[in-house]
Parts: sequence; C-alpha cells; structure tokens
Amino acid sequence: MLTVSMTVNGEPVSRDVEDSTLLVEYLREALGLTGTHVGCDTTQCGCCTIHIDGISSKSCTVLAAQVEGRSITTIEGLGKDGQLHPMQEAFRTCHGLQCGFCTPGQIMAGAELVRTWEGPLDEHQVREEMEGNLCRCTGYHNIVKAILSVHAETRGKVDA
Amino acid sequence: MYPFIYRRPKSIADAVKLFEAGEDASYISGGHTLLPTLKARLAAPTDMIDLAALPEMKGIEETDGGILIRGGTVHADVASSPLVQAKLPVLAGLAGSIGDRHVRHRGTIGGSVANNDPAADYPSAVLGLNATVITDRRRIAADDYFTGLYETCRENGEIVTGVEFPIPLSAGYAKFRNLASRYSLAATFVVRTEAGVRVAVTGAYNRGVSRPTHFEQALDADFSPEALDTLEIDPEDMLSDPAATAAYRANLVKTLARRAVARQGVVQTFK
Amino acid sequence: MTPFPALDIIKSLKSVGQPLKRKEDERLITGKGRFTDDFSMPGQVWAAMVRSPHPHARIVSIDGSAAMEMDGVLGVFTGADALADGLGQIPHNPVPSTNFDVKLTGRGGTPVYIGEHYLLPADRARYVGEAVAMVVAETRQQAYSAAEAVMVEYEELDWVSESRVACEPGAPKLWDTMDDNVLVDATFGDIEGTDAAFAKAANVVEMTWVIPRVTGVPMEPRAALGSYDAETQRYTLYAGSGGAVRQKHELAKVMGVEPAAVRVLSFDVGGNFGTRNRAYVEFGLVMWASKKLGRPVKFRAERSESFLTDYQGRDLVSKVELALDADGKFLAMRADNLSNVGARCVSLSPLSKGSGLITGSYDIPVATLRSRATYSNTMPTQAYRSSGRPEVCFAIERLIDKAARELGYDRLELRRKNLVSPEQMPYRNAVDSLYDSGEYEKNMDRLLEIGDWAGSAARRADATKRGKLFGLGFANYVESSIGSPKERADIIVHTDKGIEVVIGTQPAGQGHETSFAQVMADMLGVPFDDVTITLGDTDVVTAGGGTHSGRSMRHASTVMALAAQDLVDKATGIAAELLEVPADTISFADGLFGVPGTNRTLGWRELAVAAAEKSPEGLRVRRDNEMHQPVFPNGAGMCEVEIDPETGGIDITRYVTVDDVGRCINPLIVHGQTHGGIAMGVGQALWEGFPIDQGSGQPLAGSFTDYGMPRSDNMPSFICEIAEVHSPTNPFGVKAGGEGGTTPALAIIMSAIEDALLPLGVIEIEMPATPLKIWSAIQTLRAGQNAGENA
Repeated sequence: MLTVSMTVNGEPVSRDVEDSTLLVEYLREALGLTGTHVGCDTTQCGCCTIHIDGISSKSCTVLAAQVEGRSITTIEGLGKDGQLHPMQEAFRTCHGLQCGFCTPGQIMAGAELVRTWEGPLDEHQVREEMEGNLCRCTGYHNIVKAILSVHAETRGKVDA
Repeated sequence: MYPFIYRRPKSIADAVKLFEAGEDASYISGGHTLLPTLKARLAAPTDMIDLAALPEMKGIEETDGGILIRGGTVHADVASSPLVQAKLPVLAGLAGSIGDRHVRHRGTIGGSVANNDPAADYPSAVLGLNATVITDRRRIAADDYFTGLYETCRENGEIVTGVEFPIPLSAGYAKFRNLASRYSLAATFVVRTEAGVRVAVTGAYNRGVSRPTHFEQALDADFSPEALDTLEIDPEDMLSDPAATAAYRANLVKTLARRAVARQGVVQTFK
Repeated sequence: MTPFPALDIIKSLKSVGQPLKRKEDERLITGKGRFTDDFSMPGQVWAAMVRSPHPHARIVSIDGSAAMEMDGVLGVFTGADALADGLGQIPHNPVPSTNFDVKLTGRGGTPVYIGEHYLLPADRARYVGEAVAMVVAETRQQAYSAAEAVMVEYEELDWVSESRVACEPGAPKLWDTMDDNVLVDATFGDIEGTDAAFAKAANVVEMTWVIPRVTGVPMEPRAALGSYDAETQRYTLYAGSGGAVRQKHELAKVMGVEPAAVRVLSFDVGGNFGTRNRAYVEFGLVMWASKKLGRPVKFRAERSESFLTDYQGRDLVSKVELALDADGKFLAMRADNLSNVGARCVSLSPLSKGSGLITGSYDIPVATLRSRATYSNTMPTQAYRSSGRPEVCFAIERLIDKAARELGYDRLELRRKNLVSPEQMPYRNAVDSLYDSGEYEKNMDRLLEIGDWAGSAARRADATKRGKLFGLGFANYVESSIGSPKERADIIVHTDKGIEVVIGTQPAGQGHETSFAQVMADMLGVPFDDVTITLGDTDVVTAGGGTHSGRSMRHASTVMALAAQDLVDKATGIAAELLEVPADTISFADGLFGVPGTNRTLGWRELAVAAAEKSPEGLRVRRDNEMHQPVFPNGAGMCEVEIDPETGGIDITRYVTVDDVGRCINPLIVHGQTHGGIAMGVGQALWEGFPIDQGSGQPLAGSFTDYGMPRSDNMPSFICEIAEVHSPTNPFGVKAGGEGGTTPALAIIMSAIEDALLPLGVIEIEMPATPLKIWSAIQTLRAGQNAGENA
C-alpha cells in the first residue's frame, strides 16, 4: 500500500492505494470520478485519455504512483467555472458522440491536440493525431469536424 | 495485474541497488510495453522500480559524437526537439511516428531500446545510424547491442541511460504498419555515412533488427532504388504470422528500402 | 398492405425534422454518464470467470479448493452448483417468430433444436472461453488471480469450427440428441417455377460467397452488478443491455422467480450493435452469487473476454445463382445460405432476416432459398448491425457484378433495368417479403450525381499516374426493419417539471431522449425542452420491446402518437369541466385547449394541476401498441479506393450514400447512424475478422493487437444524403436509419477492390481484404498474366 497524492481538476487529493493501482483505477474507484472509462486491456482504445500537466496520456497505462505530485485533468474538470470547454461544446454541436463511452477520451485528446498544435491543422493531420482514440459509433466523421471547428475558432488559444 | 512493490529511486545508482535487492525486480519507464504485459498477466515482478522521473535520465544535447538523447526522454520530446529536427530530422520523424499521440507522451527511448521489441522503431534507427547505447555501466556499439528477437547484450539490471546518435550524411525511414496493432510489419532505416551505407530493418527479420548487408553493398556502389532491383530478401529470414507471411514481409522490406533510398530526409509511413 | 390511418395528432411539425442537439450529451460530454461499471454498491465484491481453454471438452471435475485458500476469495461456483440450486436456462427464444419473419424450421418442418444454455454448463464446454466456473472475491484482482487457481479436469473432444465442415454428417457433434449439427434446414420459394426459369434462361451466373465472422466490439466491455435483498426477496441488476424489460423476464425465469422479483437497470449503454440483445451468463451469475453470499457482486469483462465471448456476428456462406434472359432481365434466383450459429442457439435472426431479402432491390419473379444453420465449437452468433442483410446484399450485389462482367453489361445499367419500380410498390418479393415503399432508381441516380460518378474517370487517370490502382465500387441495398412488435408508452404531465414519457426502447447511442422528445413535443404542442424521456429502469418501464432491428423510432413514434391522442382526449375532458362547456366544443392547438371564438384557454400545466387535485394519478395515460408490418429502408452507395500495388495498402478516397429512411426525425442523428454504420461495414470488408486456428481450435484475434478496427486515420469523411419516402405502415411514415450504412458497405468496398484489380484480372479475395491479401492477389494475377503470355 502507498499513499499517493496529486492534484486532480485543481483539487489536491491523497489516497492510500495498492502499489499496482493504475491511474484510471485511482480516478474511478478512489476518487469516484467515473467519467474516465476503461475500454480495453492493451492500451489501444484511448477511452481512458486524460491530461497529466496538460499533456494527453492513457490513464490505464500509468501507475497512480508515477504521477505523485502531478496535476491531472479529467473530463469532469475540463470545463472552467461552470462553463463547458469549447471542445465539449463542439462535440455536442457537431454530434461527435453517440453512446458516449469513448467521448471523454476523445474530448480530452482533441482538446490537448488543439491547444498544443502549432500552425495550421487540416483534416488529414487530425485523423492521424486521433488514431489512438477508437470510436465504434460515429465513424469519426463528426469527431474530426468538431476538432477542426475548435481549432478554426480558437486557433489553439484555449487553456486545457 | 499481480501485486508488486513500487519503488522510486533517487538516482540511477540507487535504482540499480534497488533492482539487485529485489526478488524479481523490473524497471518501469514509460510503461507502455511493461504495463500491458503485466495486465495480460504474462509477468509478475515483485518490485517495480520507476526510472521515469529521474532527472539524470532526461534531456537531449549536442555532443562531439552527435546527439545524445537520455533514456527517459519521451518520444514526443524527441519529435519536437529543435536540435533533433535540425540535425537529424529523420530521427525526429521516426519518434513522431511511434504508436499514437498519447503513447508518444509517455514512451521513452530507454525503454524501447532496452526492450528491443522486434517491431519497435528505435532499434532500426540505433542500428542504422550506428549509434552508441549508453548504460549505467558502459558504452555499447549498436552492432554489438542487439543480439536477437527481444534480446540485447544487457546484463540483468543494466539500465539504458542514453543513446548517442552520430550525424549521418543523410537518412531515410520507411515503414508499413500492421492494420490492427499499428506496429511495423516491416520498416527500413537507410543511412548514408562517411563509412558507407547502412540499412537497418525492424519488424521483419526473425532474428530481430538486422542489416541486410547485400543491400548495403549494392547501395554503396550506386545509391539509387534501382540498385536493389535484382536483389531479394530471403523469406527464410522473415517472421511469418497471420498478418504478414514471410514472402510478403520480404517484399515489404525491399519495397520500403527502395522508398527510403528514393526519399532521404523524410519518414514515410504506409498502411 | 393496409396503410396506417392518419392521426389527427400529427399536425404541425416544428421539432420533427430538425437537427436539434441532443439532450443526453450534457451528461456524456462532462463525464456524468451512467454506464454499468460506474455503479457501485456498499460491500460489493467481484466475480471472475474460469473459462475453457478448449473448443470442446467434457468437464470431468472442478476443484476450487486451492482458489478458496487464496486471499479474499469468498466462493467458487460451478454448473453442478447451479443445477443443484435449481437455476434454469436463459430463455433466448432464438427462433424469430413475429408474423412476418421467415419461418425457419428443422429438416422436414421439424422444430428447431435450440440446445441448452445454462449459466454454467455442467456437462461440456463447447467453445474456447466458455465460462465453466465463477470465482467471487473481495477485489477484482483477487478474483481473477483465484480463477487461475481453479483446477478443471477436462476430457478433450473432437471439435469443428467451420460451418461447411460442421454441417456435414460425421462432424463432431455439439448436441447428443441431434443426428448432426444442422438445426435449421428449410426451403422457401417456388421450386418448380425457379427450376423452369433456370431451364430456359439465356445465361446463368453463380458464385459461392463467404461472409466471415466478426465481433461487435462495443467500446464499453460488458458488465453487471447484481444484488439481492433478503428482506424484499428481490434481485436488482445493473447491466447495460438491448432491452431491460426483456432481460428482466428472462433472468426471472433463470432464477426461478416471478418477474416482479427482478429489477433491471440499464441506463447509459456504451454501444450495442446487437451484442447486447441477449442476456449474458454473467448477468444471472452475479445475481445468483449475490444471493448466496449476501453481498452485491460485480463483473466487468476484460476486453480480451469481450473479444472471446461477446455474442458474435455474421459467419454466413451463401451460394447464389442468377438466371438472366438474353437482354439481361433477371428471371430467377437460387440461394443456399448456411449460417454458423456457434455452440449455442442464441438467435437465428441473421439467417431469418437475410432469408427475406435475398433478391435485394431487384424484381426477380421467382426464387428458391434453402436456409440452413449449423452448430459449431465457436462463440454463439446473433444479430449484428443489420443482422443478416449485409450478407445477402453482398451476395446479390456481387453476383450482379459478376454477371455484368461475364456477360458484357455495364454494372449500373444491368442493375437499373432490373430495379423494383415505385409503381410496383408495395412489392412482394419472391421469398414473400412485402416491400412497403421506395424509389430505388431515383435514389441511385441521386447517388451517382452527388458522388460525381461521372468524374471518376479523371480521378482514375490521376491515381494511375501516381502509380496507384484505382477502384470504383457500387451497390444498391434494401433492408428490413421488423423487430419486437409490442411497445408501451406512458405519458405523464407533471405539475412542475414538464412532460415525461416512459418508453421501453433501449438506446445505446441512437439519441432516443432527443428524437422521441421531438416527436412528443410536436404532438403536444410544447417546447422540445419541456419533454423528458425515461428509459431503462424496469421498476418504471413496465413493458417494451428494446432496441434492435431499427424498430425503435417506428414503434415508439406510433405508440407515442396513439398515447398522445389518448392524452389529448383525457385533457379535453378536464378542460371541458374547468371551462364548463361540452367537451366537443373544446379544440386543441399549439399546446392549448380552448373554445374557439373565446379567449379562454388552458395549458398542460393547469390541466395537470386540476387533474392532481382530483386523483393522485394526475394527468397521465398508458398506451400499448402492437405492429407487425415490416418496413424496408433502402438506398445506394459508392466508393473510390486507391491501392498501392507494391504493398497492397488501400486508401478510401471517397464514400457516398443516399439512404431512404422514411421520415427523418432528426437528420443530425440519422447522419450519425449512417456514418457509424458505414464504418462497421467497411471494417468487416477491410480489417475485421475472427479467424480460428485450424490446428488448435483457438481464436487468433483476442485483442486490438490482432483485430483491426476502423480508426480516424483509415476512414474517410463521407458524403451522405437522406431521402425520405414515407412508409404507409405507420403514422409518421418512419422506416429506419440505423442500419442502412452497413448493409451495402461490404459490397461497395469489395466491388471497388475488384474494379481496381480488373486490369490485372479477376480473383476472389475473401474479407477482410487486408494488404496481405490484396498484395497476394496481385501476385497471383500477375503470375497468371505472365503464364498466359508465355504460354
């Protein structure tokens, strides 16, 4: 057992967990933040995507202990001051989600992509950069649309 | 996963001590090879020694020998490094083609080189560029380092602390990805150096990352795709699985070598 | 076919037809979704399954003693224990039996032998991965570790996985009471007429097509949380499904209790596609364990368990023959369809649905169909996105491609001259399906226009210059939507929170909370925001057919319309009392009840308040409806591909569809369904497959490492258009929009690949057409060409 402390969505947290606890388990079970989902066991689906210090990562393939002291953002904390993040809005406007299971991961991935991408961003690049996030419902067409729309509107000036 | 004890060393030396003290210890860096293995219950280390946060393991710098990339540097940082982009753009491009975006934010060069996955990208760059693998206890030439499928000459507990890449005259990388796993079914790294052409192939050979020397000789004489026209890769040397037969891999190796020769300075990803 | 009578309640449509943003998104984009694994109960413990490593083996003994010694382990349960406790089988009811389903039978009209499906088998494991025991422990890790320690002694038996081998006499048998593995063998159509037509045909084309097995891969792995309340003697089960009401009744039978003793909660479901249409053994197992242990028991499948043991899809072999006259008119068709049911009969929907559509979009006067189903030592199959229709669409469309090629016709013109025409609607096809409505040629023309078919020659030339093989693919489709015939709607007009509709469908992404609200809002004349849809808790949803086969909007909109009409009648009575006028002087418009010519009107809330004062029930209605008449969504699609001949790599550069969904309630949602449906079909054509190693019987694709998926970087953007030819079978004219994207996709992609390789020759490539297979085909064709040249 270890005590693992970090900041999650701006709040400091500390929990005693098994050493082998994955970050996604810490978030879902220790903190009750069930918005981050587990979709596979081979690090290939991206449903568990969150931000570590603003950078997208698959929380199923990080030990909670490895992010001791770091700042984690989950889908629950992406919006600020009760406002939706532009990527959340865009997914809704563009119908970039259906069942919603992969959606938190898609939104977190898309938000980080737009925030950190330098220069113009085209459809081909979005499709390449989003290959790590599987979706079975949408066929990706509207997800790509949503991400491109946010980039066009904000040109990457959003804090994520 | 089976339970283990997590240990956070304060230095590389400390990490080695913790490894030796453990019953059946494992190092973890980016974790994107190790943790899936543990989740599949294919391994049960007793101790998990975390190298990822060690400051000694981070950084990219110019050296007399070329570019030194420390073992804990993540792929995304290599891909976006102004130094690597300027001096060795194909290496930056290779790092930027590994896995997917999120994997690149965590996976490290040290982990990749230590593991020597037969379909990993970095081993072909290390072997192709004739890089030096630096560990906590010695420096190892690339030609000596890779010894077989998943095999390296590392001793038990030896940590890859960095890789030093010499700057070539030119380099090119062409890869063909498995449509499911996105690992390479074959990938060729073609390099022109002062001492001649080196070709390193990953994903395809059944003995791990390898150099088809007959290709190198032909390209030494004539550095053009056509120089490879009459040469073949022996299917007997190739891995074979439901996704790619030996004959198909042999074809890919040759095709990708031609394409890497034809377009030096870039990374070409096919699928 | 008697058209559904017009309903007064459907008048001015303001919300219906609009691309309104979805209500459910608010919780889903903020991480507040309620998927099964998101629920936890105090004191809960975890279950893990002990799974057979063998495709076929007698269970000799199960020894859980070593497992029981391990940390946290609370129990080990076997099939023998389940029988001793009197647990029953899951009543899958696999033979489709609505009025218009093709009636499948065993040989000679005998009943279909549906085998057994207990929660845990006591006799044999019949497929790799079949659960033979359950371990329950305090933590999930402990349960999975302990499952590895359960010692099962097996006696391995001969096994068979391929349907064409399994159906032969002498193949290893799954069920002792059967003579062989063939559970369905029925012939339909006019045999004499077909034979006569073939005899005098100018040309006959034939082919055997294999549409291999795939698996649904919903992104949410299946999960279940069961608990038992000893005081109330009720089970509560959280489990994402395709219909909580159905599963409540099924699991009540398994547990041997009255349905009232079971509550099933299925809220947010992370994709269904057919995989969740039938109950899983783990659902009953956690219920049972929770009673035995006195604690809630939770199960969540690993993705590898999902790959191995989700109910799977497709796996059909179809031999088809087409007879044509000298002008290319289709005279007759024969089909022999063999479906691989797997080890247990869970649903014969794919074979049945496909059987009704073998002639596709074409006017083929006579046909004979032999439909067979065989058991095999593989995971049971059931309905999967457009259950049965992509298979038969593939068979007829690809056969027509072959006919065009061999007989020298243009593939579009050969189709055009044989399409069912609007004048023929409603059209009874040669296997007795009555197509309700459609404008097939018009859709085809529109498709060719928006897809710029005419411009493809220039794109082909450009691709060729770049060293690529360019392929142009096309297919028409017609598919069916039947589904469970009954549906129920409750409408409750609250005094303080708008209008609530309780309905028994079970969405997994189709947006029912939104589209149903649009329908109800327009009928009751209220704002869309004022209507909420309640689903998924069987203590509230008392009846309903679930969601499958594209049934939901058609059944829901109809029963909601009938209920709304009842509600307006009831409200009129209340208004009449309040206004002290005769009821027949009240009129209802724009959400208000009033007497024309006066300014006295009453709104829904006022009437609800008045009703609440009179009775605790308040202002509400319940309506049941039963509808059997199927509808037939239809359309056309095309694609362009570029193949790299040196690697076999393939790129989809264009994908276009026109889909007649009947009335479109929400185009945003319908387009989304088309997009997702296309991806599923393309996935099967190019990347997805569930091969079984013929030496060991082991499935080879147990993870995303081996199972290729549509991803953002291998799918194109789409050009999709909705056509609306209203169906006369229901008051809104709805057909269905959920499965038309998938139905023609297999044929569209494979015809494109064939077109790309045509300059080299013709060779059949079995799906998935991976780069390896495409490259190998090119090598074979080139060798053939060389041989030809050297001959």
